[in-house]
Amino acid sequence: MNRRRLEEKIMLGVISLLAIISAIPIFAIIINIYSEGLKYVSLSFLIDFPPPPISGGAGGIGPALVGSLILIGLATVIGGAIGFFTGLYLSEYSHTKLAQYTQMFLQIMVEFPTIIIGLFAYSVLVAPLKRFNAFAGAFALSIVIIPYIALNVREAYKSIPYTLKEAAFSLGLSYPKVYLRVLLSTAKRGVLTALLIGMAKAGGETAPLLLTILGTTFTYFEGLDQPINAIPLLIYNFALSPYERWHQVAWGASAVLLTIILTIFIISRLVVKEVKI
Amino acid sequence: MSLVEISNLNAWYGDKHVLKNINLEIPRNIIFAIMGPSGCGKSTLLRAMNRLLELNPNAKVSGQVKIDGIDVYSDKIDITWVRRQFGMVFQIPNPFPHLSIYDNVAIGPRMNGLVKNKSELDQLVKWALEKAYLWDEVKNDLKKPASMLSGGQQQRLCIARALALKPKIILMDEPTANLDPVAASKIEELMLELKEDYTIVIVTHNPQQAARVSDYVAFLYMGELIEVGETSQVFTRPVHKLTERYVVGKIG
Repeated sequence: MNRRRLEEKIMLGVISLLAIISAIPIFAIIINIYSEGLKYVSLSFLIDFPPPPISGGAGGIGPALVGSLILIGLATVIGGAIGFFTGLYLSEYSHTKLAQYTQMFLQIMVEFPTIIIGLFAYSVLVAPLKRFNAFAGAFALSIVIIPYIALNVREAYKSIPYTLKEAAFSLGLSYPKVYLRVLLSTAKRGVLTALLIGMAKAGGETAPLLLTILGTTFTYFEGLDQPINAIPLLIYNFALSPYERWHQVAWGASAVLLTIILTIFIISRLVVKEVKI
Repeated sequence: MSLVEISNLNAWYGDKHVLKNINLEIPRNIIFAIMGPSGCGKSTLLRAMNRLLELNPNAKVSGQVKIDGIDVYSDKIDITWVRRQFGMVFQIPNPFPHLSIYDNVAIGPRMNGLVKNKSELDQLVKWALEKAYLWDEVKNDLKKPASMLSGGQQQRLCIARALALKPKIILMDEPTANLDPVAASKIEELMLELKEDYTIVIVTHNPQQAARVSDYVAFLYMGELIEVGETSQVFTRPVHKLTERYVVGKIG
């Protein structure tokens, strides 16, 4: 074997090893969370109130799960609607100054510390009402996910061949019909993926919730103007507590949260896989 | 009155002047070829007629295009109406790949509200597919995706899609440039058939194709209309030196 071949082999070996190393944390996290947490998860765990710290039954994460589902749903509706139309604008009016600046701002927003967004929601929706509330949490999560959804929707529409746009317009269809019906059905997988990424992001964020929803223990949902709980927030609070039983609930909640996020990502992968033109 | 009358038409992409003072009349029930080398403005001229050019934010147009005496650039006109008067077929066959064969033809009349009910739509789809010589090949596969068709079939499907809107005129932008010779000659035969009921404007960079199918031909060179006339005339006794050099293959 000559020197050049040897160098190639060593190079390939090194980068393969590094690729494996970078994938280790994902598997380590999944194995760790499931081995620690899965044993606490049962149907009643998903429904019940959290246990008292010392005595009483095993308890569960009912309020946090319900809260998370409400927050994810609401954030996806608000952030999805705004993000979708923003993304459509960025794709179709990319020549305008407004679109160019908007895109730049969204790219900055993707990198924004989410605790700052939580603080902003606190100052506009919590402090004036003098009450932590579910809507402030959904509002903060919406702001977090808008750039993700908008930039991905933009990609989805950008990927439509120009000749299909011409075809749609040549049929004498109006702008809304072309973009929201004919071309949306071409781009639907990309758009759906954008929404799923937004959902996963909304489901996993903790920082925007710390200063907005407060967290509840014994109520599921009392209205959008009332405090609510969410799984990431429960994990944060319980893991910091000194009680062994709450630590167990936090592990179980982590397994549930991980399952929700993985499910969303697996769906989005399946959706993407089907793309073909 | 000619079907289409173009007067003093100019077009720009940014600062680039791509159509220079075009004046042209297109009579009815003929095939009118616009030929010229790549980049001479033929496709732009076609898109200036049905105002598809405006999808390009850099494009600017001045002048007049009248269809049946109605100026398509008038302020009062509905642009979607304009586009429905011109059926358009493109260089790359572009059926909507995610839609079925049926829906590709049905989408125009359905979304424009041109049919009253399902059976009327069924009839229209069948009629358009028959007109495009495609019905016999696809009648059992109407629900299958358009992407399963061959290139030539896809192009005929696009012709059916255009016909389904009952346009006054059909614009074809190098409709055979991406097809094999057999599929291409099928499209040419189809054009000659459609001429009975329609006016067809075909853009081509191939003078032989213009000679084969057209009744009238216009020669466009660097954005200028060099010569226009009956095809036999232009090919046998071209008035302009440039036209002569083009038809014998010395430019283009």
